[in-house]
Amino acid sequence: MVQRLKEVDVIVIGVGMVGSIVAKELAAAGYKVVGLERGQTRFTVPEFQSPAIHDELRFDIRKAMMQDNTREPVTFRNLGSQVALPVRRWESFLPGTGLGGSMVHWNGQTYRFQANDFQLATRTRERYGKNFLDADLTIQDWGVTYDDLEPHYDRFEYLLGTSGKAGNIKGRIQPGGDPHESPRSRDYPTPPQKEHFSGAMFRKAASSLGYHPFPQPSSNLSQPYTNPEGMKLNACVFCGFCERYACEHYAKSVPQTVILPVLLANPNFELRTGCQVQRINLDSTKKHATGVSYIDAVGREFEQPASLVISSMFSINNVRMLLLSGIGAPYNPATGQGVVGRNYAYQTMSTVASFFDEDVHINPFMASGASGTLINDFAGDNFDHGGLGFIGGAFIGAVNTNGRPIQYHPVPPGTPNWGKGWKQAVIKHYNHTVMFSLHGSSAAQRQNYLDLDPTYRDAWGQPLLRMTFDFPQNDIKMAAHVTAKAVEIGRAMGAKQVVGSPRKGPYTVTQYQTTHNTGGTVMGDDPKTSVVNRYLQSWDVPNVFVIGASNYPQNASWNPTGTLGALTYWAIDALKNTYLKHPGRLVPA
Amino acid sequence: MNTQRAIPRARCSSSVLLGSIMILAVPCAPAAQTAPQAKPAGTKPAAEAPSAPCEACHGAHGEGMAAAHVPRIAGQSAEYLKKQLDDYADGTRDNPVMTNFAKALSEKQRIKYALQYASMPTLLGPQLKTLNTVQLARGHQLAFQGDERIRVQACNSCHGPDGIGVLHAAPYLAGQSADYIASALKSFQQGTRKNDAGELMRSVAKQLNDADVVAISGYFAQVDISTK
Repeated sequence: MVQRLKEVDVIVIGVGMVGSIVAKELAAAGYKVVGLERGQTRFTVPEFQSPAIHDELRFDIRKAMMQDNTREPVTFRNLGSQVALPVRRWESFLPGTGLGGSMVHWNGQTYRFQANDFQLATRTRERYGKNFLDADLTIQDWGVTYDDLEPHYDRFEYLLGTSGKAGNIKGRIQPGGDPHESPRSRDYPTPPQKEHFSGAMFRKAASSLGYHPFPQPSSNLSQPYTNPEGMKLNACVFCGFCERYACEHYAKSVPQTVILPVLLANPNFELRTGCQVQRINLDSTKKHATGVSYIDAVGREFEQPASLVISSMFSINNVRMLLLSGIGAPYNPATGQGVVGRNYAYQTMSTVASFFDEDVHINPFMASGASGTLINDFAGDNFDHGGLGFIGGAFIGAVNTNGRPIQYHPVPPGTPNWGKGWKQAVIKHYNHTVMFSLHGSSAAQRQNYLDLDPTYRDAWGQPLLRMTFDFPQNDIKMAAHVTAKAVEIGRAMGAKQVVGSPRKGPYTVTQYQTTHNTGGTVMGDDPKTSVVNRYLQSWDVPNVFVIGASNYPQNASWNPTGTLGALTYWAIDALKNTYLKHPGRLVPA
Repeated sequence: MNTQRAIPRARCSSSVLLGSIMILAVPCAPAAQTAPQAKPAGTKPAAEAPSAPCEACHGAHGEGMAAAHVPRIAGQSAEYLKKQLDDYADGTRDNPVMTNFAKALSEKQRIKYALQYASMPTLLGPQLKTLNTVQLARGHQLAFQGDERIRVQACNSCHGPDGIGVLHAAPYLAGQSADYIASALKSFQQGTRKNDAGELMRSVAKQLNDADVVAISGYFAQVDISTK
């Protein structure tokens, strides 16, 4: 029997970073908000305390914080001609679950995209000509500009207390920061974290080659900080357990440390955990949402009516929710028609390993998830792509996030894969190797997309999301170019051996790369090529907003969270100042 | 190629000097912690050391004087002890007695005494039991779990299992004088002690009320690692 509950003003599906911020703002504005979270309630104390939280087997290998793929996996294939199979063990990307979402176990790398990224199609045509792009790329503009988002980036960084060094304040280049960044209105709220030894080596080498090293912006804080919500954070202790772990020190900016306690104290907000939303319900016109249906942790089915529904789940789950609910036309790669699931993109990650003699001690275990040193000289459109045959780029950085015993064991090529030879190599190189991360952009391509799987279903009987993805040639070329540049930096550091591993195809779902899955509910100015308008409002059902990295038309050279935070505050402004006063379309369709 | 050579050399400093001395001292430490432990009274130190100015208060075996707020320092890491001497001398840690002593010591003497007390067997027997069961439970909670309501993480997150300390990083608290721990927490609260990296201890101490300070300091004083 379905129980119909009392109507509320707003439902937030997914109480992660986006859901927490949206719910906090709307509850504070006087609206009754219900947050539906699939996972469990959890806080810094007791859930995130050590020594339990430093369990590499449990969290790193067995993925304890991730979406339960015995109940809700994703199916995958490289090409539309193949049969997709369920991913029964997360490897390539790791969607999180639980209160606070994936941000709980993030590394804290908090970037802004550049002005160019938001108008990528227009700027690429202007700089390189109409026919520069590969014909199968579906690059497009975002419908918002960097200037639109700048105040919201600022607000998000001050919510988190991000530790960094500005490179460009109101057009003035700042020594020590990133000179390529688009102008920011003021410096970061806290100074950069201490530089790792590998970062100091990188800085020296990159400078000697004429590049512009700067400290990685980190939301593992360099000093105590009180944010505008009144939440106090501590300084990071460089324990080396950020990504895939939660922070026990109140030092990493996550919903639990920056906003959730404020939200939970507001009587206008109600949190319900263990709730698996089945669909957003529509009325008979299919142009208006009436609420959502969900199943709770003991299997009871509820209908929760609401005037406004915000889909604020992890990107690929936003896409699935719209497909399950029949909101927007599903994308068809054969015809190029339809929008939901279109422009799924990723991140093109390459690495460079620099092996040193045994008198150079790197101490990789002393690290935060974002205490690296990097350059943006080969990111985005910061270098001339004329004649190169690709667009995009990557930041190159000595981003030493950890030296954990099970997963961190860099060895040179030719090392045996197991046995005595392998063990000896691990001992020899563990403390004498610098790893560079090359964090590359990802171009949207016609044949990469998300849809509902025709065969496999989840534990509640709903079709799984099907992912069809392979790296575009554009990105393979980009990876090769940028990796060659990074190898030169490794050599300039004086390494005995430098090994570049540019990302190559085909994409494999069984090797960890990154959890920066983007696209599928793309934002834009044209309903024919986007799912939501520039305010993240559904073109088809105006009382549904979708907020996530699923809004990105293609992915840029940096980690997506900073931009998602900016988009969240941007959408909240539109909701509070316009939509909720006069519900309706914010942009004429 | 010069770059490669220059980098490790650039790291040479007094702390590296201390570090290289420590390479000799370190292998002794774990053995000292797992071997049957010397009790504070009537034991003979493993390494007979020449008498230091520290002895008058901290004792010949580094046992301290619990009632006079003087901490145990035997087996505390050399980095920690050396840093405290430096910080007393430059005023980032405040104590009239220790400041005068530390200022009078040369760099070489500070390293010498730090290594001397670091090499002594850690005294792991408990200090006085002074807490009632409610206080003890609160102390245990803060040590093992922390408290979300006041946003304080578990003490043991940094100070090691049972507060036994983490070599090179955080001092031991187990068996330490309750009065000393309480006065250290108070000085962090008041900001008269400000030698904690990243204000880590000041951030935590400011969240504790007087009852918490009594509970946590009394709790660690009675922890007896030696029987485990």
